[in-house]
Amino acid sequence: MKFIIRIILIAAFSYLSGMFLPWWGIAIVAAFISFLLPGHGFNVFVSGFLGVGLLWMAYAWKTDIETGSILSEKIVQLFPVDEVTYLILATGVIGGLVGAFSGLTGSTFRQVFMKKKQKSYYS
Amino acid sequence: MKTFRFVLSLIITLALLYFLDTKRDEVPPLGKFMNPFAGFWQNGEKDGLNLDEELNLDGLNQPVTIQFDDIMVPHIFAQTDKDLFYAQGYITAYHRLWQMEFQMLATEGRLSEVLGTPFINLDKTERRKGMKHAAKLSVEQLRKDKEVYSLVSAYRDGINEFIDQLDYRDLPIEYKLLDYEPEPWTVYKTCLLLKQMANTLSRAEMDLEHTNLRAAMGQETFDLLFPERHPGIDPVITSSTQFDFDPLPAIAPDTAYPDLTINKTFSNPNPDNGSNNFVVSGGKTNSGNPILANEPDLRLGLPSIWYVAHLNSPSYNVFGATLPGAPFVVIGFNDSISWGFTNARRDLVDWYQVQFRDEKRKEYKYDDKWLKTETSIETIKVRDGDDVMDTIIFTHYGPVSYDRNFMGDGEQINFAMRWTAHDASNEQRTFFLLNKAKNYEEYVEAFDYYVGPPQNTAFASANGDIALWVNGKFPIKWQEQGKFLLDGTNSQHEWSGFIPHRQALHELNPERGFVSSANQHPADSTYPYYSYEYSYEYYRNRRINDRLKVMHNIRPEDMMKLQNDNYDYKASEALPMMLDSLDTVSFTNREREVYDLLREWDYFASPERQAPSYFETWWTLLYDALWDEFDAFDFAHYRPSTYNTYYMLRNHPEHAYMDDRSTPVVETARTLYQRTFKQTLDSLDNWKSEMGMNPQWSNYKNTTIQHLLRLKPFTVDNVKIGGYRNIVNAASERHGPSWRMVVEMTPKGPKAWGVYPGSQTGNPGHPKYGHMIDNWAEGKYYPLLFMSAPATSNERIIHTTTLQPN
Repeated sequence: MKFIIRIILIAAFSYLSGMFLPWWGIAIVAAFISFLLPGHGFNVFVSGFLGVGLLWMAYAWKTDIETGSILSEKIVQLFPVDEVTYLILATGVIGGLVGAFSGLTGSTFRQVFMKKKQKSYYS
Repeated sequence: MKTFRFVLSLIITLALLYFLDTKRDEVPPLGKFMNPFAGFWQNGEKDGLNLDEELNLDGLNQPVTIQFDDIMVPHIFAQTDKDLFYAQGYITAYHRLWQMEFQMLATEGRLSEVLGTPFINLDKTERRKGMKHAAKLSVEQLRKDKEVYSLVSAYRDGINEFIDQLDYRDLPIEYKLLDYEPEPWTVYKTCLLLKQMANTLSRAEMDLEHTNLRAAMGQETFDLLFPERHPGIDPVITSSTQFDFDPLPAIAPDTAYPDLTINKTFSNPNPDNGSNNFVVSGGKTNSGNPILANEPDLRLGLPSIWYVAHLNSPSYNVFGATLPGAPFVVIGFNDSISWGFTNARRDLVDWYQVQFRDEKRKEYKYDDKWLKTETSIETIKVRDGDDVMDTIIFTHYGPVSYDRNFMGDGEQINFAMRWTAHDASNEQRTFFLLNKAKNYEEYVEAFDYYVGPPQNTAFASANGDIALWVNGKFPIKWQEQGKFLLDGTNSQHEWSGFIPHRQALHELNPERGFVSSANQHPADSTYPYYSYEYSYEYYRNRRINDRLKVMHNIRPEDMMKLQNDNYDYKASEALPMMLDSLDTVSFTNREREVYDLLREWDYFASPERQAPSYFETWWTLLYDALWDEFDAFDFAHYRPSTYNTYYMLRNHPEHAYMDDRSTPVVETARTLYQRTFKQTLDSLDNWKSEMGMNPQWSNYKNTTIQHLLRLKPFTVDNVKIGGYRNIVNAASERHGPSWRMVVEMTPKGPKAWGVYPGSQTGNPGHPKYGHMIDNWAEGKYYPLLFMSAPATSNERIIHTTTLQPN
């Protein structure tokens, strides 16, 4: 459940960040949400990846449909792939990787503190 | 362990962010670029104008209405002139910001800042032409002209207002690909743009090449291979014109020219930069109204060189092609007059050998004095490397372009460039006046201020006058002055002055009922001033004049047809001579087939024909074989003109130059025809098997409208258009009609048509990017919507935006 909530929150705040912040706003969002909702390394990594990645992919896809792929069909020729679908996927992967690693950073940062807290609890 | 995991994950994240935020080689910063919220995805546009219906702008005094028609031409209605040009700047930037900035980066010699190391030499070259210095002088001059300066400033403010409200998301795609940002526009950049036009149109010369060639081959051969004019030319100004004025004197000094060899020079502007204009008087037209036609033939690029606009205020109602980066209309019409340009070629650059006093280069010799130099230290920023410095020495002639630091390969070579475009000038005043001129007198007066690039300015007015003036600042020269390297230590080698504007070549309402120009010789030899350039046209002008002489009851459609005329005058003269020389008895079947194809050809280079492909290939091979002697020259040189090649083949078929130096036998023109005909077949057969199609002319020629960054996906190639260089429809591989316009001047106001190979929008992500290219290729025109007030109901208006003062 925490996994799903984390994904949804990361996606929602990344959307807001996309409206108002430069592209790296997603890193702050994913790190901050994962700091608030820490979890197992792999879990956090995947939720960061999916939260940002799916959002970026969906938004790229939506934008592309609205504009009839006029530009993406030209841009794709500048890249070593030949279909716009790959360009949309690549967008998702790039956003996803940033979300995943910054999520992991946020979560591990929290754990650094939690360890201290746990120590004090048991001592 | 946990700390380590955090630190490791942090490092990976930061590295990833850095990696995705940084441009490397050709790859844009991927995170920034692919971000669907602000990256390239946001540059895709929906059709039409994606502009709010109401915009609040600083710097406006009154509301301005802008209506866009179905080809996205803005019709700007303002209540003051300042508001008008402010809005022109704003809306031009809306469609063309990246282009106007990038062109000026190139002119300023700053491409390395954006594109990196490969462009350092190009940047040095641009800086060594002295354009920056000239633009600064022009700003000073413009500042004194308060009226015009305030309008140029308003245009600048409009551009900057647009730039100020841009986020990364809104930047044109090219900024995102190259990862840089626009900087504020300035009046200086507008002045620089005019210098850039001069660079494109009025910098052509072969002075140093001539010096080399004359030394290598002797005066007689040089004059034979590079004659100044041929008999029977058809000049811009009718041959029967009487020149009844006292010319200012130009006296040739009795001293020797310097004879130094230089191996490399600046590349010349492409000689395919040319144009046609022609105007017929009411006596020759169906309606009794004069009709004007013009098309400047320039590099075919995207975004297009022209931006079409309609400007309306209480003092202006003018429509036409504008240059993104400068206010006013350059080629167009208003209620009362219409005008069009072709390049008035003349040698406006001369080279002076400078003698410095010593290695410090602080002083140079001038008669018996030593004059002081000025030094400009240029810093070229390089995106992917250290700054590069270049020291340019300025003399009173201009920059010492070739010296020990650049292209000059010895201490002896110090050549200073004297160019009319170096002088302060205020062309903006010409357009300021011309755009609102009401009659012939006001049109003439507008050009009193015009320096360059010199233009053959065709004119028609609603009250029936037609005229053509060769406008611009032309130095008075003695015979052959500046055709060769000049002596900078001798004051007698300097230009003695300039031809007064009222003595410039012109004609008003000539008897033949038309005026025309196509970059040919300006006048026949009776014109009292020496006029020379190395690349005058010999074909388009004759075709146009031949047609206009016999045309009557002319309608605008006939003018359009003539603009799109594909008749290959060169082929009509050269091909029969070439075919006659072939040995038809020993033909193979394939040779017979091609021979018949060419024999039956009517010389129209239309897109679906194959004959032009064979002819042009044959001509090129013949030309290369004929002038192979030039390949041995390792000094700066060029080869004879197309027309003179024909002339030599026709009149001197046994000349020593006909010999192919790589064979032991002595060739004549006849043997060259035979051999190159066979080579033509091989070449075309290769092309056919490589491309897997027949060599139809448009496929073979492959007219390409190239994006300024040469990005293939933003480029439109293989345009189905006929014509070629030396043909009225001058669409060659990379050059061609950049704005075709036909205007009939009726007493009720102008009726006009136009088309250009591109689109108003410069955005490759807009559905209409390049949308006019097909109609342009087919010779179809758009009626130009000319109105005196905003339309209340016109089905061609697709969008209205009101600019409100803040």
